[in-house]
Amino acid sequence: MAISENASLGVSRQPDPPGEFSERAYHQVSLPLHPLLKIRARKKWMPLELRDIWDHRELLYFMVWRDLKVRYKQTLFGVSWVVLQPILMTLVFTVFLGKIARVPSGNVPYVLFLYSGLLPWTFFSNAVSTSSHSLIASAQMITKVYFPRSLVPLATVLVRLSDFLVASVILFVLMVYYGRPLTSALLLVPFLILHLTLLALSLGLLGAALNVKYRDVGTALPVLLQLWLFASPVIYPTTFVPANWKWLYQLNPLTGVIDGFRAALLNADFEWRSLLVSFGITLALLVFSSFVFKHIEDEFADVV
Amino acid sequence: MSLPTSCSLQMKSIVTVRNLSKTYRIGQLRNSNPSLRDAFVSAISSPLSFLRGQRHGDGATLNALQDVSFEVEPGEVVGIIGCNGAGKSTLLKILGRIVKPTSGEVDIYGRVGSLLQIGTGFHPDLTGRENIFLNGALLGMKATEIKRNFDEIVAFSEVARFLDTAVKYYSSGMYLRLAFAIAAHLQPDVLLLDEVLAVGDKSFQEKCLAKIKSVSRDGRTVFFVSHSMEAIAEMCGRVFLIRSGQLYEGSDPQSTIAEYLDEVAEAEARHTSLLANASESALASA
Repeated sequence: MAISENASLGVSRQPDPPGEFSERAYHQVSLPLHPLLKIRARKKWMPLELRDIWDHRELLYFMVWRDLKVRYKQTLFGVSWVVLQPILMTLVFTVFLGKIARVPSGNVPYVLFLYSGLLPWTFFSNAVSTSSHSLIASAQMITKVYFPRSLVPLATVLVRLSDFLVASVILFVLMVYYGRPLTSALLLVPFLILHLTLLALSLGLLGAALNVKYRDVGTALPVLLQLWLFASPVIYPTTFVPANWKWLYQLNPLTGVIDGFRAALLNADFEWRSLLVSFGITLALLVFSSFVFKHIEDEFADVV
Repeated sequence: MSLPTSCSLQMKSIVTVRNLSKTYRIGQLRNSNPSLRDAFVSAISSPLSFLRGQRHGDGATLNALQDVSFEVEPGEVVGIIGCNGAGKSTLLKILGRIVKPTSGEVDIYGRVGSLLQIGTGFHPDLTGRENIFLNGALLGMKATEIKRNFDEIVAFSEVARFLDTAVKYYSSGMYLRLAFAIAAHLQPDVLLLDEVLAVGDKSFQEKCLAKIKSVSRDGRTVFFVSHSMEAIAEMCGRVFLIRSGQLYEGSDPQSTIAEYLDEVAEAEARHTSLLANASESALASA
């Protein structure tokens, strides 16, 4: 019954050779009961759809793969830029702060103290600034094809994470050179990296979304990041901060995670409270950014 | 295989569109990137209206689509015609989930692939081979699908010799062929095409048309926006005419196309008479 119905409709609409109707009828039978796709007007305040992101994981992989491929094709030094940035910063700060200003770093050589802070900081700051620009940079794709837009900043953060892992080799070399013991505390490092990645991702999502909507975010961001460097225990130890201001200092989510990173690497005492505060703030930020991103996401193609 | 109960007497649609509208604020178009500073200022100076989402501006709106409804069955090739700015692309972009509708509903019983521009996401520094994977993934193909179709894509594109050359060194013809070859092997249930055939030479266009026909023979649905009435008449079993955001469908494709040609002729006549008036008055004043 359905086949003849289909065939008669086909004749009235399309003068196709007769052999093709059965195939079309087969297709009709195989339609799903429920729509695979429901397109509706924008709703207020929803979180990101994790399911959709998971379904597009292959595209995420290809986006990261593309950025890495292009980077190592274009630049003369390829990998070495990734390593050079933290090394050059370490050199500068070691000369000015370690030698001239003589910032104390406990029983650890200042170079090692500094590099173990600059490494996560460089990852964080590069990830936040590049992912904030990432959506605008892919405007051409966004206005022509559908995919979860959060993949773009997510891919950018993952590319920076790979840079971070490459630059970690230098840290390992420094630790061996200064004869630091490899302790069981190092087992915490992967968790701290995950923590830092989530923090960078939440701010990257927020920055990317706001940057599409408000064009001055991109201008303000480098200044904010510069200030943030000095508000975090990267080039100086947390002990520099007066005791009665410590609670405020620990509200900076970078404080807990960078101190934790350093403690795990250099086998110092952990400040668990600070680390937990930082993790709590990171999760809250992630949820917040996910809502903001989703809210602005539907406008991207209209605005970019 | 379990048969869905709904496939009884009624023909089932693969795409159902109900009362679809899209409205742009004119202010939004004119000043699309307000600064965060402006947002702060307006939030502080008029906090209530800011929270309600009202922005100052002349409040003028543009209805890109107004109350559009239709149903399309599997295997149909639907041509969408209309003047520039009538809303054709907006309709395609909503079906392709690139922009959100202001109101209305769309249900699609299948996978959608959109091809609004050829070579979207191609990276100039990557080789042809690398771009096949990247572009395929972007268009919604799985890596296994790309691998399976890889040889066919290369054969169709005729760039086998330059597969490991960066696409920035490709001629525009090679670039186009490769991009279309990838898109042609996309196997969505609903394919959205926008002016894709406006580029390329005659033989390339014919190749594309032949491919689109074979896509519909496989029972897949195609939406096809074009200004070429020749291509529309040849390929499409149904034709939608969009006039300032509203959809018109005549009793058959020919009458819809005729309607559109009348509209174009009318607009041209108006334009010519305007020009004539202008030159007359210019002469008179001289």
